Formats: sequence, structure tokens, C-alpha cells
Amino acid sequence: MAEAGRSVEGGSVEGGSVEGLSVEGLSVGFAGVRGRVQALDGVDFAVPPGGTLGLVGESGSGKSTALLALLGLLGRAEVAARRMAFGGADLLTTAPALRGRQISAVFQDPASALNPALTVGLQVAEPLLVHARLPRAEAWAEAAALLAETGLPRPAALMECYPHQLSGGMKQRVAIAMALAGRPELLLLDEPTTALDVTVEAGILDLLDGLRARRGLSLLLVSHNLGIVDRLCDRVTVLYAGRVMETGPVREVLGRPRHPYSRGLLAALPRIGRRDGLAPIPGALPDMTRPDPGCNFRPRCPFAASACALPQALAPAGLDRTVRCHRAGELAHHRWPAPPPTPAAPPAGATLMATEGLARRFATMQAVDQVSLAVRRGEVLGLVGESGCGKTTLGRLMLRLAASDSGTLRFDGAMVPPAPSLAFRRRAQIVFQNPDTALNPRHTVATILRRPLDRFGLAGGNAADEIARLLALVRLPASYAGRYPHQLSGGEKQRVGIARALASRPDFIVCDEAVSALDASVQAAVLNLLAELRARLGLAMLFISHDIAVIAHLADRVAVMYGGQIMEEGPVASVLAPPHHPYTAALLSAVPEVGGRRARHVLPGDAGAVHGGRGCRFALRCPQRIGPLCTDADPPWRDAGPGHRIRCHIPIAPDRRVPR
Amino acid sequence: MGGYVVRRLLSVALVVFATSLLIFAIVHILPGNVAYAILGEYATPSAVATLQQRLGLDDPLWLQYWRWLHGVLRGDLGPSLVMDRPAGPLILEALGRSAILASIAFAIVAGGGIALGVHAATHQGRISDRVMTLAQFVFIAVPDFFWAILGVMAFAAGLDWLPATGYAPWGDGALAWASHLVLPVTVLSIGLLAHVSRLSRAAMLEALRSRYVLMARAKGMSERRVLWRHAAPNAMLPTITILAIDFGLLIGGVVVVETVFAYPGLGRLLVFAIEHRDLPLLQAGMLVLTTIYALANLAADIGYAVLNPRIRYGAAA
Amino acid sequence: MTARGRITDPLRAGGITLTVIAVLAVLGIWRTPYDPTAFAVRLRLAAPTLAHPFGTDEFGRDVLSRVLAGAHLSLAIGFGAMLVSLLLGVPLGLLAAFDRGWLGAAIMRAADLAISLPPILLGLLILAVTPPSLGKTILAVGLVYVPIMVRLARAVALGLLEEDFVQAARARGEGAVSILVREILPNAWPPIIVECGLRVTFAILLGASLSFLGLGPQPPSSEWGLMIAESRQFLDQAPWLALAPGLCLCALLVAVNATGEGLRARLDPSHG
Repeated sequence: MAEAGRSVEGGSVEGGSVEGLSVEGLSVGFAGVRGRVQALDGVDFAVPPGGTLGLVGESGSGKSTALLALLGLLGRAEVAARRMAFGGADLLTTAPALRGRQISAVFQDPASALNPALTVGLQVAEPLLVHARLPRAEAWAEAAALLAETGLPRPAALMECYPHQLSGGMKQRVAIAMALAGRPELLLLDEPTTALDVTVEAGILDLLDGLRARRGLSLLLVSHNLGIVDRLCDRVTVLYAGRVMETGPVREVLGRPRHPYSRGLLAALPRIGRRDGLAPIPGALPDMTRPDPGCNFRPRCPFAASACALPQALAPAGLDRTVRCHRAGELAHHRWPAPPPTPAAPPAGATLMATEGLARRFATMQAVDQVSLAVRRGEVLGLVGESGCGKTTLGRLMLRLAASDSGTLRFDGAMVPPAPSLAFRRRAQIVFQNPDTALNPRHTVATILRRPLDRFGLAGGNAADEIARLLALVRLPASYAGRYPHQLSGGEKQRVGIARALASRPDFIVCDEAVSALDASVQAAVLNLLAELRARLGLAMLFISHDIAVIAHLADRVAVMYGGQIMEEGPVASVLAPPHHPYTAALLSAVPEVGGRRARHVLPGDAGAVHGGRGCRFALRCPQRIGPLCTDADPPWRDAGPGHRIRCHIPIAPDRRVPR
Repeated sequence: MGGYVVRRLLSVALVVFATSLLIFAIVHILPGNVAYAILGEYATPSAVATLQQRLGLDDPLWLQYWRWLHGVLRGDLGPSLVMDRPAGPLILEALGRSAILASIAFAIVAGGGIALGVHAATHQGRISDRVMTLAQFVFIAVPDFFWAILGVMAFAAGLDWLPATGYAPWGDGALAWASHLVLPVTVLSIGLLAHVSRLSRAAMLEALRSRYVLMARAKGMSERRVLWRHAAPNAMLPTITILAIDFGLLIGGVVVVETVFAYPGLGRLLVFAIEHRDLPLLQAGMLVLTTIYALANLAADIGYAVLNPRIRYGAAA
Repeated sequence: MTARGRITDPLRAGGITLTVIAVLAVLGIWRTPYDPTAFAVRLRLAAPTLAHPFGTDEFGRDVLSRVLAGAHLSLAIGFGAMLVSLLLGVPLGLLAAFDRGWLGAAIMRAADLAISLPPILLGLLILAVTPPSLGKTILAVGLVYVPIMVRLARAVALGLLEEDFVQAARARGEGAVSILVREILPNAWPPIIVECGLRVTFAILLGASLSFLGLGPQPPSSEWGLMIAESRQFLDQAPWLALAPGLCLCALLVAVNATGEGLRARLDPSHG
């Protein structure tokens, strides 16, 4: 490693009692199947006492590895550092003595991080019993107090529960209480809200923010989500393929990124209210078994120059900032290359797909409850909602992939029977969320694309030409026809999935969380592709997503779903601006956005908690509930502007109906 | 939990009833006349007729089954033709001796198998793990009757340390009793020990790879506590299923081992019944063994439920 | 890391050994050093010599020739039983996965019932009632494993039916047969092959045990389990009578086991 620049963090002063966390030149190597993988390559970062640092990067950046290295939990990996210390103690040697005490951790998926065989109480009290050596009764009382502090109701009863009896958000609060039980000074958070719904996430972020202020905790937050980092952290370190690209105050780095990679990440980020094309970062992660001695982002960088092949040092760039790019200064006034403009979509035509009172029940849950929606020709209807709201089921019902209990479906003016004709199948297709399961792993790309051509008699004279055309349509080289899915990256698989849906030349596509499993830079490229295809082919889409920013970016109209029902529906601009349905308002305020700190009202209860039977499904969690009316009577549809309606008991004041 | 046990008990009763039908059906419906099967192909017609009358083989099948079932429910397992005695006491006596053999072997298999499995999982990749992996690999593949032959060759015929065959009642002295058990128990255990230790190693490794173990380590818990408090309770669940399967294999082993060592247990009795075409005795012995196996599976299910809060406390609250 | 080398090793070593045994076994049906059934009174219970490397038995028959002549029987029981369970179990399991009505339920209840008999008992029962023979041993051992195959095939198919690529096929309006042939089967065979590989070991073990109990091929057959059973009277005088077929049986079983485990490591990376 070249000279790694001097540390500019407040905590790492020479001599005396060194406070906080300070890491310099941390390198981690793993033995992999194809040789030694350099997961981290001379990484520097620091968290001063009471400070919060965000460690951001896409998958493969090494951010979680860094966190495990601090805890000394990397098993057989080779860990080396010039300095890795907390409160003056060398973590390379003392991590086992510090972890669970001065340093605690909260991991990503709370469902798997809690032990299914032990009670919540035992798991939270354990550090108190083992580390603080409290008597059982005292440990129990303190554990219950910790559960209460993390905002969990009825802590005494909760102590006796097993993890499977709790919801995801509750589990994560238990995990946080468990981490606090070690009475830590530093809390390590590994994607603490990634598995959670956005309204639950907002509550957890508020909790963490409060804990930090109240207890003077230092936080190290590892996340791929720049919005969360912006919400919670003072400083941020951007990692790419095992190296630090840039470090500095959050507002500075995310507001005016200096390293090309950070700039690319932000250019690829869909945001509410942003309608211009997203700028994806081309290319893929470098081969980590052979670290590039020069800048390892070079092959993907639009500003790469010959000097980039030389080793790059983290150099000061303005107040309290360091950047690992020799061109950072001269590039400050160059814009990140804009994507080719998306062709304008033709205006939406007549109604293509319409549901009337569509319903489906699973066991005890009314997954889809009397939904009437219409999608016009060439129109993208966004369907947004949290997990369990029924949005995926609705999508399957519209394609007759799942049977509906009641209600009707009309396509192009004709009724669609429960067992639809081949013609309907040809014209209505689907793109799935998970690229890994969407393609049959035993078929080549050519076989996958050829099947719909044969099935619908579209191959014509030359199937190979048609397959090449489809691959070109989704911007994949024709040579990919011979590949198997496992030879493709996640983004490429998703493109093949889109090509398969397009093979039958459909008029209507259901995109079920089609970009949710992809990294930010890849997601932008697939979103751009979908926008372009829709404009060129005049496709109508039902675009299902939990991410309102993605929907806001792509859709013409939005429907907001909760508890199996549509709560609000209208043109994107109208739905994103007041008046809102209370749920839409909560959803919008919960989205952690870079640069936006809006007033938030955190919802009580779990995502998807439904008031069953009569009344508004959202009533139990509604911060604006007006009384028993909400739980007793079905709310009416209220007109909130042209094409915009809200299902709520709260009347819409006339002055608020004025176009904004 | 109580409801769960009752439901499982009912299903055991159903399984035993259904297997009684199956056993009866195989004995009586498979091609071949039962009387000829018992008396041999060259039996005289009059002998056949006498036997048929004695066993009620002329009656319709449902009546024969009903008579058998009725007897079983009253505790009468039917006659043994060859020994000319009721089968019940014969089976009971043999079952007691088999139970000694099987329970000692099962204790060794369960205790030793889990201990070896945990040891191997916590010493993954070290010499002891590799040696065990190799040994398991070979031991699983060696038939128990061949172990028996080797054991007899080495310790009975060769070194003359242990009796080659037979059984000594407790009354003959503890040493005689135990010395007759050493070889059968060892032979019975060795293959299953390999099987259980191998699978419990896998179960333990899976638990040790889990996120909750990572979490426990991040909480600063000692390796010992991580192992026994966090990983072991979860690894026990698949291990219980494995033990239930191995109990079935153990029953098979008992039949073979008792035959080799001329150990007068239920397995030997069954083979005797087959060799002498004593079909009523065979039928009764099979039913008893099946019932025991069903009860063992019930015990495994209950053990599984006791250790698994998901079953104990139902689904999400 | 040597992971790759280690994983493929058992498959290769087991496969080569198994092939050698199989070739010898097939040759042994027609050609052996001596006539495996020829008595030679003067050579009774002769210890191994260069002329008779495995010695002779109580009738003076050459043990090596008998072992070679009987080799195909163990293989036939193991692989035959595996085929029986495969051919009966997989279609039934797939049917149970596709049919959510009474037929599927009936198949599964029957499998539950059959599995609640201890493995050897079903074999004992079937072979006890009718005169034993090679075919019946194969059938009995095969039947023992049918319910396991049914459950496995059903579980695999049910898992695959939930996959998005099957949903995509349904979105094309594909019928059940097309989905089965194009989408399910190509993905279902690896776990089924793995199970078969592991089952062959147990089938050979069970078959040999049944023969040993006298419920397999009958004398003068030289099935290895039977040979070992017959050798018991001569353990003191002629241990080679037991050791020759016993060690061959162990070699075969270890080879089959290695091949099965190797296949599993190759096809099913989720298991260490």
C-alpha cells in the first residue's frame, strides 16, 4: 500500500489517551476458490466518542467485512492493520475482550440474528449475567428496562416470548436492546434496517438517533442506503472494492461528492421528485483476487486518465475531507456524464387492463380486498405498499397466475376468464424480483428466449434473429445467447428476464419489484431500460415496488396499497404533493432521503397491521384517526384533484384541492 | 402442547392399526397358499386341510383379520405353531432380552454419536476431525454382520476373551451376563455411531454457521457458552430426527446381530419364525416391533416439540 | 485452498473402484479362474495359495471364483433396488406434488404409513411369505426406499413449483406436462441423483443383510452375504471363507459410498 495519507479524524491524536475508534491501513484477505481475495486493502476510518460514521458502498465493497474485523470475528481470514484501536486498546489483540462490552453490534436480518431456541429475556439479559455478573433478578429487571427503552410495549411479557412470536421490527428492537445490555460505548450497525419496511425503518432510525443522544453512544453504521446514512451520521466513508474512496462530513460528501465513484452513486440514485434519466455506473466490480495497484475504480470511471494507473493516495480535499483520486480537484467542475435522454413516452391511450372488485383471501388474511384499478395503454401505473399489503398478489391476480375469489378482469375491452386464452397470455407478461430464481438455471439464454417465441408462434422464419433482436433490445450482446444464467451478473439476468417478457410482444407487463434486488448503479441502468422500452414499444406496466422513490421515477400514476386495499390513487405529481392519505403521508415522510430532513411522523405498530372487517384498514396505525368512525365505517373515496382520489374519512378542504 | 401429544398419540394408534392391516395383507394376500407356505410345497392335502381348519383359513379374510385384531386388542397375540404355545409370552420374554441389547446400544449411539459429532464440528479440519470423517466413511459402509464375524474371529475364536454366541441371564453372574453382551452391543453400535456422529456434526456445523451464533460471539460470549447455550439447542432438533431414523436401523441391526450371536431376543425369534414358517408368530412379532417403532417415533416427535418453541408456542403471536 | 481437489477425489476414487468392480462382476458371470460350482473333495478348506488366492471352501470350490461369480448379485441388488425405488417413487412423488386433490393426499398418506415400518421389517415380511429369490430381494429392498423417494421427489417438485421461472412458464400458459418436462425435471434430477447415490449403499447393505439371513438368493448361489452366512461354521478353520467375500463387500460399499458422497459434494454444495 502506498502512503495512505494522514488521518484527519479528531480522535487519532498522537500520545496521551486515545479515545474513540481509529482504524488505519486495515487489510483483510480471504482464501477463495479462485485464489486469495483481498476484501479490504488498507482502509482508514475513525469514529470519535459520541460521533457517528457511515460506511457506505455497494455489495462487494467490504463494508461488512470491516465491521466483523473490528469485532475480531472474521475466523480464518488474514487481518492486518497499522492501527486498529478503540479507547486506546489494540483491537487486533483485545477485540474478544471488548466485544459485547465496550463494543456491541446489531446485524442485518433480525430474524436470523436472534436465537430461535432461547427466550427474548435470556438473550437480552445474557450480557448482564455474564459480563456485569448481575444476580438474575437484577439482570432481568435491567433487561426489561432496556426493552422498554427500545420502545417495546409490555416488556415483562415480552421477556418470556420466543423470537418467532415477534414481528420483524420488534425483533430488531430486541437486537438493539441486546446490544445495549453490554453497556457499550460504540455500537456497530450492519444494515440494521435493510430487512424492514420503510415505516418500521423510520422508527428504528429514530430510536438509534435518540439512544446516541441520550447515552452518548458512538455509532458505526454500515449501509448501502445513502439516505439512512444521511439521516443518522455526521461523517461518511465511501468504500469501493475494499478501498476507501472518500471520507468527510455527510452533508459535504453526499451533497458535493468529489470522488467519481461517490458521484456516480448519487447520480444513479432515484429520488422522489426526480424525473430525469438516472446515470448508471457502467461495468462491474473488479477482480478482487488481483487488486489493481492503481485506482481500482478506473475501468468504470468516465474520467479515467493514464495517471490513474498509478497508486492513488487518500489526499486532503477541502476542510475535513479526504479523497482518493488525483483528478478530484480538476474534476470538480465536470458534470457526471448524463445518460442518453429517454425518448418521450406517447400519451396514454384507452383503458387496457381493468379490475373490478378483485379479491383474494389466504387462510385468515384478506390479501386483496375489492380492488378496482385501471391501466391505460402505454401507461405505467406504480403500485406501492409495504410487505404483506397484497401488491404482489394483486399483480398475480391481474395476470390470472393466481385465482381470484371474486371480481372481474377486463383486458382490451374483453372479459378475461379464470383460465385465460393463449392470446391473453401472449399480451400480458411478467418480470420478477429475484433475478436468481426468475430464470431456469438449466436452460441457456437462447432456450429461455426461444420458448415464448415457439409457444406463441412468433419465431417466424428465423428464431436466432429474433433472439438477437431481443438481446439487443435489452442491451445485451448477441453472444450471450449461449450462456447459462449462472454465467450472468444480477443486472444481466434481470435484462434476460425482461427480454423473455418482451419476447411475445406484449402490451402489458407486470414488473414485480423488478429492480429491488439490484445494487444502486445496476438498478439505475435497469430502470432506464424499462423507461426506454416503455416509450419505444408503447408498453403499459403495473410497476410494483416498496420503494416510492423508484415508483416516483418511473410511473405516470401511482396507487398506494395497504391491507389489501387501494388507499390513494392518482397522477404521480398529485400523489406526491398534498393532500395525502395519512398512510401516503407517513410513507413519504418515512423515506430516508439524501439531503432531505422532512418532518416525520413515525407510525405506531407493525407494517401491514390491518384493522380487519369493517372500517379503514389503516385505522389502527393512523396518526390522524378522527374517532370511532374510522374503525366502524368503510371510508369513502374523496376527489383530490384531476384523476386523484383518496379513500379516507377526513374531508379534503376545498382550498387544498387547488392544483399545486 | 397437551393437544399436540394427544393428536400424535391418536396418529400412532392409526399407524399401528394400518400396519396391522398391511402385515395381515402381506401374509394372507401375497400369492401362495398360507397353509402350503407353512407346511411346505409337498404337504399332503389332508394336512393342509387340517391346518386350514385349525387356523380358520377357510373363513373370509375380513373375518380372519377381525379375529386376529380382536385377539390382539385383548392381549392375545395368537399361537406359535411350531412351539405350540401362545406367542404373547414368547415374544415378551424375547423382547426383554432384546431391550437390554438395544437400549445399551442406543445409549452408546446417542450419547457417543452426539459427543463425537460435536467434537468433530468444533475441531473442524483438525486431525481428529479428519480421522473421524474417514472412519465414519468406512464404518457406515461395513455391514454389521461382517463386523460380527470379525469380532467373533478376533475376540472369541482368536483371543478367546469373549463368548462367541449365546446369552447368560443375570442369575449366572454379572460378568457372564456382561461378557455375552459386549460383542453384540459393539457390533450393533459401531455403524450407527458413525452415522449419528456424522449427521450431528453436520447439524452442529450448520448451527455454528448461523447468524445467531455470530451474534452471540459479538455479544462477547465465551466459545463454551456459544457452543452449549446457543448452538447446541438448535443442533439438537435435526439430531433428534436422526436418532429416530437410527432407531429404525437399530431394529434391523438387532435382527441380524441376534442371529449371528444366537442371542435369544425378538429378532432371533422373528428369523426363527421365518425359517420355520411360523406365520402367526411372525405376524405377532412384526406387530410388536412396529408398535415399538411407532412409539419411538412418537417420543422423537415429542422431544422435538419440547425443544422447539415454534411447536411449543404455536406460530407468530 | 484444496477444497476442489478434496471434493472431487472421493467421486473419482470411488468411481474408478466401482468401475473396476463392475467390470470384474460382469466378466465373473461368464469367466472365472475355476468353475465356481466344481467340487474338489481333496482340496476342501484349503488355505490361500498362489493357485487359489482366496483358498477353497468346504466343498473344495475356489473361493476367488465364487466371489467373482457372485459379485454381480450385490451390484444387482443395490442398483436394481435403487431403480425400483426411482421408477416407482419419483413418478408418484411428482404426481403428489402436482395433484393437490385426494390422489396426492392418498399417495402421501400411503408413504407415511410405509415409512412407519422399520426398514428391514418390510423386507423380512415380503421375503418370509414367498420363496426367496434374487428378484424378490431386489423388489423388497426397492420397496423399502419407495416412500423416501416419493417424499423427496414431491418436496423437490413443490419447491420448484414456487420458483419464478415456473410462474413465468405459467404466464405463457404452459400446461402441466410442459412445465414438468421443461422446467421441473431438468432441475429436479440433481437432488434425486444424489439421494440415489446414497441409497445404493444402504440398498446393498440391506440386501446383503437379507441374504445373510437366508432371504436372498439361495445356495448354491455365491451371493456375498450368503457366502458369509455359510462361512460361519468354519470361522476357526477357514477364516478366508468369511474374509474374502466380506472384504470384497466392504470394498464395494466404500466405493459406492464414496461415489455417492462425491456426487453429493458435486451436485449439492449446500452440504459440507
